[in-house]
Amino acid sequence: MNLRLHIWRQAGPDDMGMLKTYDIANVSEHMSFLEMLDVLNEELIAKGENPVAFDHDCREGICGTCGMVINGRPHGPLARTTACQLHMRTFKDGDEIYIEPWRAKAFPVLRDLVVDRGSFDRIIQKGGFISVNTGNAQDGNTLPIGKPDADRAMDAAACIGCGACVAACPNSSAMLFTAAKIGHLASLPQGQAERSSRALDMVLQMDTEGFGACTNHYECEAACPKGISAEFIAQMNRDFVASALGGKA
Amino acid sequence: MKAFGDIWRSNLFQKWLMAITGLFLVLFLLGHLSGNLLVFLGQAHINEYAHGLRTMGHGAVLWGARIGLLTFFILHVASAITLSRRNRQARPQKYAKVEARSSTLASRTMLYSGLLLISYVLYHLAHFTWGAVHAQHYAQATFILPSGELVPDVYTMVVKSFSEPLITVLYLLSMVMVGLHLNHAIASAFQTLGVTNRRIVPMVRTIGPALSILIALGFSAVPLAIILGLVKI
Repeated sequence: MNLRLHIWRQAGPDDMGMLKTYDIANVSEHMSFLEMLDVLNEELIAKGENPVAFDHDCREGICGTCGMVINGRPHGPLARTTACQLHMRTFKDGDEIYIEPWRAKAFPVLRDLVVDRGSFDRIIQKGGFISVNTGNAQDGNTLPIGKPDADRAMDAAACIGCGACVAACPNSSAMLFTAAKIGHLASLPQGQAERSSRALDMVLQMDTEGFGACTNHYECEAACPKGISAEFIAQMNRDFVASALGGKA
Repeated sequence: MKAFGDIWRSNLFQKWLMAITGLFLVLFLLGHLSGNLLVFLGQAHINEYAHGLRTMGHGAVLWGARIGLLTFFILHVASAITLSRRNRQARPQKYAKVEARSSTLASRTMLYSGLLLISYVLYHLAHFTWGAVHAQHYAQATFILPSGELVPDVYTMVVKSFSEPLITVLYLLSMVMVGLHLNHAIASAFQTLGVTNRRIVPMVRTIGPALSILIALGFSAVPLAIILGLVKI
């Protein structure tokens, strides 16, 4: 199939950047979206132009490295699918495709489609962990965890930190990401000791990074390639306010 | 323990303030609506109710409620302004193309419906409370209660006002705004307050939008009945 691509090109963090149009021919429907960009880049290199920079790693939909807004939707039109797992059979001959980076003040564009997601790392550093003295591994089953709690923790832990929630949110809010991390540990006994300080510190770090506030559109939930529920945001809200008012989350 | 200032300024606390004050404003609307519907019971009922509101506890109850409402209203608007400004700043560069999946017209226009409602509330107070606009209808008539007291005739003021098509149209358009704002607001507030119960959440997401339509229709019923001649002097 033949496609017309409108891709955001930006030479560096301080460059203004603009959408540039590329025509690409003979795209196989079996290619993944990233493979289609690989082919485009080969053509650009052959012509002596700069290839389009984009993030990718596992290409199996589990690492959270890739991410671009495809036709106005993070990771493209399919639900629960990362850009690397999106295949060209989703598109048809003659389609025009807009490809843009995640847009958020807290995710500055480094080049083309690559953004700096260091703000997520700094949120994690504020409490997305449990503190334990290291030593020998504990015996299995020393801390029995009920099936519903384990399931809930796993639902939250499915977050791959790709940032699609921020990209989809009209307010560039990181609440689904942060709520998934807080909700994951809040569902487990190991997470209880630091539950209150975790909720306070991680939430305040989101503000410091310049993410917006949630207005409950649930665009994040719809865009999340792992289908994480906005229910975790409600739980984070409760944990934060309870801890802020001096109670226990 | 964090400094209270840091907590107060945080996005999540501001959201929480907006939700709590918003829900109290919805409760007020329900009370206001039940009072309005007394128009259908006749002149004596609504005039007696209005007189009762003004004189309850020698007016202390009315003024207490007014101060409370004003405080909630100011907190609600102030948090909305703070959060909207921050949300705009969070995305300095817009997308060339955006394809919404789950947001609604109501959820995307909360700021605008809210701003229109502020101007409506001022107009509405100027009309029925201060008598600054449409003064020709304002409490000119008086009414003698069954108890023999001479009180302002609210019923006549309302009926005469809504007999003017312009006032009725303005009012009905404003009720569309109320409905639109509450369509997103009610369920949204429960999410912000942290309700996660899986039996309650689907219920709230159904009842919220339904209640918004009922409130808008309820308030619209009075002017519609007057313009259709079902309620007259």
